[in-house]
Amino acid sequence: METERAPLISLRNVNLWYGTVQALRDVSVDFYQGELVGLVGDNGAGKTSLVNIISGIVAPTSGEVYLDGQRITSFHPKLAIDLGVETTQQSVGLCDNLSIARNYFLGREPVRRIAGIPFIDLGKMRKEGRKAITAFGLRESVDVDGEVALLSGGERQAFKIARAVYFRSRILIMDEPTNNLSVRERERVNDLAVQLKDQSLLVIYITHDIFQIHRIADRFIILENGAKVADVPRNLMSAEDLERIIREGVGNDAGSPRSG
Amino acid sequence: MRAPAVGIQHVTRPLTRFRKRPDAAIVLGTILVFLVFGAVDPESWFQFFTMINITRYAAILGLLAIGQTIVILSREIDLSVGSVYGIVAIAFIASEPTLGVPLSLLAALMLAAAIGLLNALLVLRGGISSMIATLGALFFYRGIIYVTTGGTVMRFSQGARAHWLTQAFGGQWLRLDNAFLWFMLIAVLASLVLYHSRFGNHLLAVGGDETTALARGVTVVRTKTIAFVACSLLAGLSGIVTIAQNPQTHVTLGMQLELESIAAAVIGGTQLGGGRGTVLGSVLGTFFLTAVRSEMITLGAPPSWYTAFVGIALLLGATINTVMARRSGA
Repeated sequence: METERAPLISLRNVNLWYGTVQALRDVSVDFYQGELVGLVGDNGAGKTSLVNIISGIVAPTSGEVYLDGQRITSFHPKLAIDLGVETTQQSVGLCDNLSIARNYFLGREPVRRIAGIPFIDLGKMRKEGRKAITAFGLRESVDVDGEVALLSGGERQAFKIARAVYFRSRILIMDEPTNNLSVRERERVNDLAVQLKDQSLLVIYITHDIFQIHRIADRFIILENGAKVADVPRNLMSAEDLERIIREGVGNDAGSPRSG
Repeated sequence: MRAPAVGIQHVTRPLTRFRKRPDAAIVLGTILVFLVFGAVDPESWFQFFTMINITRYAAILGLLAIGQTIVILSREIDLSVGSVYGIVAIAFIASEPTLGVPLSLLAALMLAAAIGLLNALLVLRGGISSMIATLGALFFYRGIIYVTTGGTVMRFSQGARAHWLTQAFGGQWLRLDNAFLWFMLIAVLASLVLYHSRFGNHLLAVGGDETTALARGVTVVRTKTIAFVACSLLAGLSGIVTIAQNPQTHVTLGMQLELESIAAAVIGGTQLGGGRGTVLGSVLGTFFLTAVRSEMITLGAPPSWYTAFVGIALLLGATINTVMARRSGA
C-alpha cells in the first residue's frame, strides 16, 4: 500500500459510549481501497463497535468519520448501504421467514410499474437470485423461492457476499464470517474475501482466528479495551506475535481482567 | 446429513408448497366447515339470507382482522382496535349533525389515524411493549366512550342515512352489502401491498428479523408506524361501516372485537412471532368464525356459546398451525 493514496475511510479520534461504558477510546484509523484488513482483539475490545460506526448502526459519541474525504455527519444503515458499505455478520443479514430471492434484494427491491403502480419485480429477483446461487457455489438443489432457513452456514455467508458483489459495494465488513463453519466452507469464504480484495474492494475482516486471518490479510489492526494498540502490515508481524499481543495485551493493564 | 437437501428438492412440488403455506390449515378448515354445515343443514345453509348474515358480520370482523394481521406481521400487536372501532363510530355519528356526512367521515378516519400514530409513538419512541401500550389505549378509549356518551344512544337523522356517502358504506350493490365489497376490496389491496410492494417486503422482514431489516437499510420505525396507522384506520373503517349499516351507537360497541380479530388472524395462520402469515388466512379465519356463529344461532344454541367456541377454535387452530409449520420445516 502506497501511503500516497487517499484513504477510503478515515476515523479521527473516535470515542463511543454506551451509557456509562466506553466502547471506543480515541480511535484513529485509515482504511484503503483494495486491501484486506484484519480487525482483531479480545472479546469486548471494540471490534464490532468500530465496524458498527462504519456501517451506520451507531453514531460515534465524538470524533470524525470520513468516507472518500467527505465528513459523515449522519449515521444510518441505509445511508451506509447507499454509500457502498456492506456488512456480513454471522447472525444478521438474512431474514429466515423470507425467500432467497426476497432476501437478495431486501431494502433494494427492483420495481416494475403496472399502470403506474410500483410492484416489486419478483421475476427479476428470482432470476438474479438464481444466478447468485450458481455463481457462488450454493447447492444446485437450493430453490430461489425456498426460505433461507434451509441454507447451510457457509451458504449463508457466500450468499451475503454474492449480494455485496451484485450491488457493487466498495466496502465489505465481514464480522466473524467463519464461525461455526466446516473447514471447507471456511476456506471457501476466505477465498471469496481475497477475491473481493483483488477486485479492489476494501474488506474489513473481524475474527478471533489469528492464524486464519494472518494467511489472508494485508494488515492488522489490534484493539484492546476500545483503543487501537497496533496497526501493522502482515510482513512486519508473525501470527505468533499477533496472537501474543492479543492474549497478553500491551500497555499498563496487560494481564488484568477486562471489563465490558 | 442429507436431510435438508431432500427437503429443498421437494419444495417445488405443489402439494408440499401448499402445506408450507401458513394459511394451509384454515383453507382446508373453511372448506370443511362450509361442507359440513351444508350437509347438516342444507335448507337454511345455502339460503341467500344466511350467506348475507355471514358476509355482513364477516365484513366488520374481517376489516379488523386484516389490520391486526398487518400489525402482527410486523411483530407487534394492537389490542386497542375494539375501542378504536367504537370511538371512531361514535365520532362519526356524533359529529355528523355539525359537520355533515363527508366531513364527519373524514374527521372520524383522521381520529383513527391519530390513534394509530399515538400507539406507534408509545411503542416505538416510548419503548413500551405494544401489548401494554395498546392495552392502555383499549381501556382509555373505552373510558372516553363512556364519558362522552354517558351511556346514551345516538342515531343518524333520516337525511344522514340517505346520504350517498353513508350508502356507499352501508348500502347494497348487486344484492351484496357494500360493507362486504369494501372488505373484499381491502383484502385484495392488502394482499398486493404485503406481497408485491417494497413496503410489504420491508414489513415482513421487520417482523421476521428486525436487526437484519435494519442492517439492510429498512426504516424499521417508519414501517411499523405505517402498520399501526393502517390497523387503526381499518378498525375505524369497520366502525364506520357498522354505523352506516345500522346507525345507532351503544357504549359496548366493538367490545371484545380486538380479541376476535386476533383470534381470526391466528386461526388463519398468522404467527404472533411476526413475519409469517397471509391476509387470505385472516379472511378465511374470519369466515370460519362467522360461519360457525351464524350456524350456532340457526341451530338454536344460546349466543353465549359463541364465545366459548371462539376459544376452542383458537386453541385448535393454533395447535394445528403449529404442528403443520413444524412438519413442513417452516
